[in-house]
Amino acid sequence: MASRSNGLKSKYDVIVIGGGHNGLTNAAYLARAGKKVLVLERRHVLGGAAVTEEVFPGFKFSVCSYVVSLLRPEIIRDLDLPRHGLEILPLDGTFTPMPNGDYLWRVNDHGKTRREIARHSKLDAEAYEEFGKAMQAMCRFVKPILSMVPPDPSTLNPRELMKLLFIGRRFQGLTSEDKYNQVQLMTMSAVDFLDEWFETDVLKATMSASGIIGTFLGVRSPGTAYVLLHHYMGEIDGAFRSWGFARGGTGAISNAIAEAAREAGAEIRTESPVAKILVQNNRAQGVVLSNGDEIEADVVSSGVDPRLTFVKFIEEDQLPGEFLEDVRRYKFRGSSGKVNIALDALPDFTCLPGPGAHLRGAISISPSVDYMEKAYDDAKYGNFSRHPYIDMVIPSLTDPSVAPPGKHVMSCFVQYAPYKLRPGLNWDDQREAFGNNVIDTISEYAPNLKNLIIHKQVLTPLDLEREFGLSEGNIFQGELSLEQLFFLRPVPGYAQFRTPIKNLYMCGSATHPGGGIMGAPGRLAALEILKDAGGAS
Amino acid sequence: MAEIRDVIIVGGGHNGLVTAFYLAKAGFKPLVLERRAQPGGAAITEEFHPGFRCSTLAHSAGPILPSILRDMQLTSHGLTLINPQVGVTALAPEGRALVLYNEVARAQAEIARFSEKDARQYPVFQQALEKIGRVISEALSLTPPLIDDPSAGDLWAMLQTGRNLRNLGKKDMYRLLRWGPMAVADLVAEFFENELLRSVVAARGIFGTGLGPWSAGSSLVLLIRSAGDPHPAGSAVFAVDGIGAITQAMAAAAKAAGAEIRANAEVKEISVQSGVATGVVLQSGEEIAARVIVSNADPRRTLLKLVDPIHLTPDFVMKLQHYRMPGTIAKVNLALSGLPKFTALGTGDPRDALLGRIHIGPEIDYLERAFDESKYGNYSEHPYLEATIPSLTDPSLAPAGKHVMSVCVHYAPFKLKSGDWSSQRDRLGNTVVKTLSEYAPNIAELVLDGQIITPQDLENTYGLTGGHIFHGELALDQFFTMRPLLNWARYHTPIEKLYLCGSGTHPGAGLTGGSGANAAREIAKELRR
Repeated sequence: MASRSNGLKSKYDVIVIGGGHNGLTNAAYLARAGKKVLVLERRHVLGGAAVTEEVFPGFKFSVCSYVVSLLRPEIIRDLDLPRHGLEILPLDGTFTPMPNGDYLWRVNDHGKTRREIARHSKLDAEAYEEFGKAMQAMCRFVKPILSMVPPDPSTLNPRELMKLLFIGRRFQGLTSEDKYNQVQLMTMSAVDFLDEWFETDVLKATMSASGIIGTFLGVRSPGTAYVLLHHYMGEIDGAFRSWGFARGGTGAISNAIAEAAREAGAEIRTESPVAKILVQNNRAQGVVLSNGDEIEADVVSSGVDPRLTFVKFIEEDQLPGEFLEDVRRYKFRGSSGKVNIALDALPDFTCLPGPGAHLRGAISISPSVDYMEKAYDDAKYGNFSRHPYIDMVIPSLTDPSVAPPGKHVMSCFVQYAPYKLRPGLNWDDQREAFGNNVIDTISEYAPNLKNLIIHKQVLTPLDLEREFGLSEGNIFQGELSLEQLFFLRPVPGYAQFRTPIKNLYMCGSATHPGGGIMGAPGRLAALEILKDAGGAS
Repeated sequence: MAEIRDVIIVGGGHNGLVTAFYLAKAGFKPLVLERRAQPGGAAITEEFHPGFRCSTLAHSAGPILPSILRDMQLTSHGLTLINPQVGVTALAPEGRALVLYNEVARAQAEIARFSEKDARQYPVFQQALEKIGRVISEALSLTPPLIDDPSAGDLWAMLQTGRNLRNLGKKDMYRLLRWGPMAVADLVAEFFENELLRSVVAARGIFGTGLGPWSAGSSLVLLIRSAGDPHPAGSAVFAVDGIGAITQAMAAAAKAAGAEIRANAEVKEISVQSGVATGVVLQSGEEIAARVIVSNADPRRTLLKLVDPIHLTPDFVMKLQHYRMPGTIAKVNLALSGLPKFTALGTGDPRDALLGRIHIGPEIDYLERAFDESKYGNYSEHPYLEATIPSLTDPSLAPAGKHVMSVCVHYAPFKLKSGDWSSQRDRLGNTVVKTLSEYAPNIAELVLDGQIITPQDLENTYGLTGGHIFHGELALDQFFTMRPLLNWARYHTPIEKLYLCGSGTHPGAGLTGGSGANAAREIAKELRR
């Protein structure tokens, strides 16, 4: 390989931009294949949005992403992550308090959940089992597609056509019933889809929530049924639909992957922000750090989103106009914020008082379908939701290591918080109000919350962009909407991790199969890079 | 039951008449049974006030497929279509009007008054629509393949479609794939900066649907409509004597070809024996037997009302009950003592601008807010309106100097959160006149009479279940092989010898006759067996 020829300069085979979980996964796979890999992370900590930070002394927060379920099993296996310190603790159930003083509490125990749902509707209790089975069938159909490089439907290349055929065959393999469900999932709104199964409003509301997470869509928007599935794909120890915490917070996942990468010989530098990607005669040559240092490499693999990669790091004249147009058109539209709270004690929910198992799972403020849809309506016109959808977890109950004895950390995912506020408003002025509105909303269900707050960290979409380099604060590096999935992600014609510039690759969530702590983009990109390098090394 | 008919067509809407014509032309003797006094279904002209006639429901044609115009020779059967030079005029409250002539260059000149950039973009968008529209129109004339086990013919058809896709070239092919599932608000934003232009084009993606401009999939509705009509905001297609003239000519053509049409003949029941449709029973009790029954009624009315569901599997019944058809549109027809003065059109002769459709919904957000209301079972206080003044192009519709105005009102949800439509009728009418007054202040004093048709009326009087003018929601999951249901998109039904030919089948959507023509092709095969 070229690098061997000029031994003097410190030259790498691959430079990976961004030490997020995908960048690290990408690096680990490349290093294990014998490549000389350098990972450059802008911040002082690794993990990108999958990071644990001691925001307040003694209180460790999974600052952004806070639960795990999508992490691909093959990656856990290949990188031997448990040996590198990854330990997943179960997160059992979803507790949905209701304004009328009742609640819906679903747990992994089928019998319990069935009885609980039956309290609200006997019919739904029956349907729930069926629904679970149907979703599993759907997941089985979609999962291989998650670990597949999207085809390019515009070429007649047999390899690409085979992929399309493969999907076609799998689809034909489904039962007539599953075909029906699959087609609906790909096209319907979460609520329309759930309407076909259930009658209980709160059940539909809280289930539909996973259809909108990280999108700028409402639970009634077509296409959200798919995201519902995307979140159903959760798989830990092979069990569908199980979600968990990483011991030590989400950052522990990134650290485990980083360890695997280091062990395989990858070099990882933090506090090394990239300023430019060096391109000569349409070929990536390396990068320039913001301190001016130039580092050469045969291949540059970017874990950051397309806007940073192609608009910020590369000169306009080095990219084809149409491609740049498509990149500019790629939709981010961050729609969520995060409020991390250090608690003196546990919150007390009026509808189910006292500390109990219901606090160990997810606590979801999603009392009705209209509540969810109205939260979206606010966002459409540039306001944060007056009554937002909130997904809370209290990891310190399961993993005491993240908070001082007797104290707790509570992580609140909040939607909607539109990146673009209506004219006249800006997030720096709204941050306070946004945070308070979240506290007020939760307090309607747990009145004692306000007196328990020791510290509070409010992250608006703008903060996510500034602090974590997520353009427009989109947690998935780009909306998971139908026109930005599979062979259209991130842009038509470049869904195979390659770019118009030779030896420049994308390996972040902006590529297939998209966001969530999944690692699939990082892995698939690595395999493509190795395929291309195949001859050389 | 003495004689056994070749084929009975339940309902004399435009699709039923098209099916009747093609089957008659193929040598069969179709009998069309129409519930009301005149055929035409939702494409009719009626006198709603002495001396004032109006296209009661649909007020602009699809347009009709050229092949159907030609085959049925509608002009020689008395149809005179009117194609005003203006497709649509969009009104802005601050007193400006965007007049979108059919002629691209003229439209550009008008747009330039709002935005030079958009004027340059307009033909680019128009050409993209034309190119993509051509591919789609081929898919529209196709019988959707059977997903479960596609026949060789299906595969061939799919291959053809695939080839047509490829022939678009990489750029337009990806456009089609990317645009389809998109929100039309995003699509128009990719091309235009002016809000008025954006909204009038976006309106084409939401008209008559349960979608707002920000709903994913609304772009596909626009693309499907552009298949027959590449005018970015849609052209206006009227007829002398109103839209009813189209179905009158269709009826004449069908008769001339050998079809029999009976009015005031309401079908009460479709008789089924051991899974096979054998005939119909009229309200009068009369029974008529036929080899094949075709229903122009919507899928739910046909299979859950006219057929005893006992003949269907519970699973099929459930799926059909989930077929979404909640209407979102109401109709208001006004008899006016004179032509309203639109502030946006200033002094001088405004007629040009009023010849086509008139769009009221000046911003994307305005349209979306109107939609929001309907999600919670309220109708919009500031509705999105599409109005026409057909008496300008056909004076015979109103007494000399007077005019009729036909208004499609969005959004008016079939199910109201509180109260029912009978109690809301007048309020709806006032809301519409109030909204119109913001653009034509003198309209209130010109109103002599108004005909207010609520979604409830659409179901009760015109037999549109749920008040849905397209026999079912236009949504990604209810198109093509999924219209009305996956694997039941080939105009056949689980009941042998019972077929569908209405808008609830592919391609549906609008006054084109596409469904009727496709259905006739499949039914002829059955009759030849």
